Amino acid sequence: MLLITGQLATAQDMSETSATDLADAEQDCGLTLSGKVMDHDTRQPLVGATILIVEQNKATMTDEYGNYHFHHLCRGNYTLKITYIGYEEERISFRMSTSTVRNLTLHTDARMLHSVEITGSRMTEQPQASETLSGRELAETRGLSLGESLKRLSGVSSIQTGPNVSKPVIHGLFGSRVLILNNGVRHEAQQWGDEHAPEIDPLNADEMKVVKGAAGVRYGSDAIGGIVLVNPRPLPDSTGLNGEVNLIGSTNNRMGAASAMLEGKLAKLPPLSWRVHTSAKKAGSASTPDYVLKNTGFEEQNLSATLAYRQPRFGSEVYYSYFHSKLGVLSSAHIGSPADLFNAIQRKQPEETGDFSYAIERPYQDVTHHLLKTKAYYQTGDLGQLQLTYAYQQNIRDEYDKHRPRADGQAELHLDLATHSTDLAWEHKPVGNFSGSIGVGTLWQNNTYKNRYFIPFFRNFTSGVFWTEKWRKGNLQLEAGARYDHKDLQIRKRENDSTVIRPEYAFHNLSGSFGAMYDLGYHLTLSGNLSYASRAPHANELFAEGVHHGTATYEQGDPNLKSEHATNAVATVNYHSNRRLNGEVSVYRNFIQDYIYLQPTGEVIQTIRGAFPLANYQQTDATFWGVDLSLQYNFTDRFMLESKGSLVRAENSRDGSYLPFIPADRIDNSLRYQLGTMGSGRLTGTYVSLGALTVAKQHRADAQSEPFILPPDGYFLVHAEAGTTVKIGTQLLEVGITGNNLLNTTYRDYQNRLRYYADEVGRLLMFRVKIPLALLKN
Amino acid sequence: MKKLFRPYLAILLMGAMAATTTACDDDDEPAAESEQEMITTVTLSLVPSGKGQSVTATWKDADGITGSQQPTIDVLNLAPNTTYTGTLTILDESKTPAANISQEVEAEGDEHELFYTTTVPGVTIATTDVDKNNRPLGLKTTVTTTATGTGEVRILLKHQPGQKGATSDPNKGETDIDVKFNTVVQ
Repeated sequence: MLLITGQLATAQDMSETSATDLADAEQDCGLTLSGKVMDHDTRQPLVGATILIVEQNKATMTDEYGNYHFHHLCRGNYTLKITYIGYEEERISFRMSTSTVRNLTLHTDARMLHSVEITGSRMTEQPQASETLSGRELAETRGLSLGESLKRLSGVSSIQTGPNVSKPVIHGLFGSRVLILNNGVRHEAQQWGDEHAPEIDPLNADEMKVVKGAAGVRYGSDAIGGIVLVNPRPLPDSTGLNGEVNLIGSTNNRMGAASAMLEGKLAKLPPLSWRVHTSAKKAGSASTPDYVLKNTGFEEQNLSATLAYRQPRFGSEVYYSYFHSKLGVLSSAHIGSPADLFNAIQRKQPEETGDFSYAIERPYQDVTHHLLKTKAYYQTGDLGQLQLTYAYQQNIRDEYDKHRPRADGQAELHLDLATHSTDLAWEHKPVGNFSGSIGVGTLWQNNTYKNRYFIPFFRNFTSGVFWTEKWRKGNLQLEAGARYDHKDLQIRKRENDSTVIRPEYAFHNLSGSFGAMYDLGYHLTLSGNLSYASRAPHANELFAEGVHHGTATYEQGDPNLKSEHATNAVATVNYHSNRRLNGEVSVYRNFIQDYIYLQPTGEVIQTIRGAFPLANYQQTDATFWGVDLSLQYNFTDRFMLESKGSLVRAENSRDGSYLPFIPADRIDNSLRYQLGTMGSGRLTGTYVSLGALTVAKQHRADAQSEPFILPPDGYFLVHAEAGTTVKIGTQLLEVGITGNNLLNTTYRDYQNRLRYYADEVGRLLMFRVKIPLALLKN
Repeated sequence: MKKLFRPYLAILLMGAMAATTTACDDDDEPAAESEQEMITTVTLSLVPSGKGQSVTATWKDADGITGSQQPTIDVLNLAPNTTYTGTLTILDESKTPAANISQEVEAEGDEHELFYTTTVPGVTIATTDVDKNNRPLGLKTTVTTTATGTGEVRILLKHQPGQKGATSDPNKGETDIDVKFNTVVQ
């Protein structure tokens, strides 16, 4: 396969031969170019490497000693392209005026030698900053929620509500500003709620990718903060029946999780392939080093099934997934009034602790998410491919209060959101140096609630059109795209006097991006991206009205809010494929005009439970900027240091004041030692690693941004990981262990909404076993 | 020929699915809110021992904690040098008929406690009723006045399930009621 790709690449390069320097060429055409091709590090000759003189379409291969020769060359400028399997392709340009001996060295391709460790490798696809969690790093997060798993990527943190609710934060933005694509479909749930975790099973994911910064062109212009793409692994492309079983257990909350997968492709009907995946999790209350976090257990059940029919010219796929979770909320975090919150802060530890228990009592959340997706593709001759996706989602969220169940047994807050979405895109084949896609998308949504008012009934219809093109020549790649979205929002809200008001809104949102990527050579790639995205206000921001119990604040929406607009610039330097030092530094600035946020007004609302501070949804201009860093230093082939850090700064640009919930500065350093193959081949891919996460205190906060209590101190946590693949007979077993907060440090995190009430979780060890099963081969 | 139709069949199938799932399009309106644990009204009734006028003061927020309507709050007018016997009534008047929350509080007396504080000079408020564990409850009180003056009377109802210990602590548990009456003794 690799050989074929190599040859294809060569063939393509031959066709784009540039003009040679003819002026000098006529004078002398009897020159010889020769030399040796060697491994850059070991100096071993490479036998059978291909050397191509790009300008002349002349190619040769190295002999058994690694030597090569070209004869009868004219004087002039030449570019040599050297390729060899397992090595990075090398290009060298030089001027030849006499016969020359040139030795060439190649670097081993790190990505090919450790094919499972793609993370941190160079991104060649897009100029926009992005990071991927897959392979070993993803395996180490098995058992964690989506939000917790993504925290491993630099520039990504999470906003938490206790130990079991976690939402991803990209460059300081979250909620409605971060788009999650689950298996290619915009995940539509009650994302506006800080305590509403994404309803996605991470055990079904093979890869999680984060695109950082405004990225509205492809999936909807509201992706002001970024996009999280959660992808299951591709369906099998060879016939047979395969399976996989994962077992996970952890200390502390005594979680047990299991997942099972079966997939196959029939020999009799090769276009047909299928997969079913199921998983279940159950955890009890977590513990801090000093006490039990009462009622923080959770359970989760998932099921998904895919059936695909794929021919070279056309194909279609049906996918269904079911997600259900029930999760307890820390009992003492339910408060009645601002005075209660003050008491909780004074108390330093929750009022109720108690013993470990799996029982989930009130208050708790019960959430169900259905996703049905169908997708079809059709090759439009040699021009390109047409793709049509339709998806239906239903998100049902029930939230139960702490005390006294309702007589009818219903949830105190019941939210039901149904979404239909379609996406039609045509990807055209490269025309000259251009490749790209054009498409339209629609989204229809209906939201209802029962019992308690939090957000109104609403109906939303959004339709959008987009076009993106990529231009690539030599070392330079340019990318540009634009999108327009029209959003109709119809509200139905019951007023105090029992009349129903029906305000209607129309929003026109534009987004666009322009990016460039330049391969400087010397293993250095530069990229930059400028993007623009707009987000219409959510029904919550327009019509919120009432007390938010988590924050003891009376929140009031503003029906006159406009869309917010982000202009985002990012520059990235990537130094890759080196023997010792590799890394990436990315700098960004995101300016959001008419940024919608909740501003405490200083007024109070009198209620029967006391005076609640009033906060209004308002608009200002906000600036977010920062740096993401990831570095890897290999002391030897087996021993390496990995560092990932991020800085985020944010301010209200109109008055220079602080914004709440901005991630504190953080850096994670870890040392990893790869033992490689041991025990006469019984153990492969064995590694151990030890690391430390340092999080600073968020000093950029004051009584205006944090009216109840200033952010907690910074902290230092030690973590360790180990893993190996055991071979028993012909059966492989992947086992691993991950330990978090190994020193059992007591700390609180600024981005945890329950930091007022309780400490973070103490030491936690997580064990995992993965058993791949090859059941039938034909 | 047969093969040619397949891609269209696949897309048709999708279309059919879209149609069936969109069919359930209703145009219902949001129902009135129904809060289980709503409290709208707190009334303090005071009967003087001996001669004098009975006094009632009501704190009422008709749409409860989630609504935006401002509460109506009576002024508590007391006579000097008087001892009153007080009774607190707690209602949820958003329901029909109004739910008597004070009965619930009394029934769950071992999980609740009412606290009275005042800034009026010379006024003292003492609770007189107890729960089944012989711990103070606070639906019944004795209010004593001396000189004339003005200030506030604050009434705090705490829900303290499993936390109502040997000593009264207004900082424990969850607040169900926290209201203040402007008070005049003259």
